[in-house]
Amino acid sequence: MFMLSLQTTGLVGLAVAENPHERLRILYTKILGVLQNIPKDAAYRKYTEQIVNERFDLVKKEADVQKLQDKLNSGQIEEVIVQAENELSLARKMVQWKPWEPLVEEPPSNQWRWPI
Amino acid sequence: TVRPKNEVEHKQLCAFGEYVAEILPKYIQQVQVTCFNELELLIHPDGIIPVLTFLRDHTNAQFKSLADLTAVDVPSRQYRFEIVYNLLSLRFNSRIRVKTYTDELTPVESAVPVHKAANWYEREVWDMYGVFFANHPDLRRILTDYGFEGHPFRKDFPLSGYVEV
Repeated sequence: MFMLSLQTTGLVGLAVAENPHERLRILYTKILGVLQNIPKDAAYRKYTEQIVNERFDLVKKEADVQKLQDKLNSGQIEEVIVQAENELSLARKMVQWKPWEPLVEEPPSNQWRWPI
Repeated sequence: TVRPKNEVEHKQLCAFGEYVAEILPKYIQQVQVTCFNELELLIHPDGIIPVLTFLRDHTNAQFKSLADLTAVDVPSRQYRFEIVYNLLSLRFNSRIRVKTYTDELTPVESAVPVHKAANWYEREVWDMYGVFFANHPDLRRILTDYGFEGHPFRKDFPLSGYVEV
């Protein structure tokens, strides 16, 4: 694997990210900031903080891009960046939807019975 | 011959189902795993967009691909139509099914803002069953003839239709 200045990700539409560590650091800090707006006992906050902190620690420790990709085991670094952006937008929407509240409405008793 | 039971996959799917149910208790009414290792989430209709966006965007559940969107008509129930979404995760190579319910007159949120693929599928469900999708960009008939009246896949629609051809 030699690092030329002309690399490609191999995926259509995804450009090579220069300085992925910085980008990931910004994204993960933003996600953790948004998660502070969720009540502490919500399962979404707990699990997402766990995932983000794990990935953040790996990003902080590992400076080499190739080794970081192997350790994260989640496809290319550019894909990890896209995934972090998705998680950020999801966290913002979750603050509005509040899915940790109890069930909105019970279904009628015969709704999910199969066979009828 | 019978397909051998894959207990490990069954356990993984049960664990994942419990994980999702813990994160979204507001909308998920029931979670089940069939004996063929198919995970199904049974949802309240208000929760379509939150649940589909969660399944698409969350890191542990990257179900980026909407494989199918259909409906099932069970006329004896109060909410006779059951809308079914089949999702596929390419990162984790797994599938999940999300089911909601509605009756003939209640509109359902369109899944098009979440998955662009839902466009024609929702047109088909509207055409064949009569389930109206709110906020759909272009909801019109797709399979029936131009002046066709009625919704053919409903159980009370006769086999040879109402019009003689």
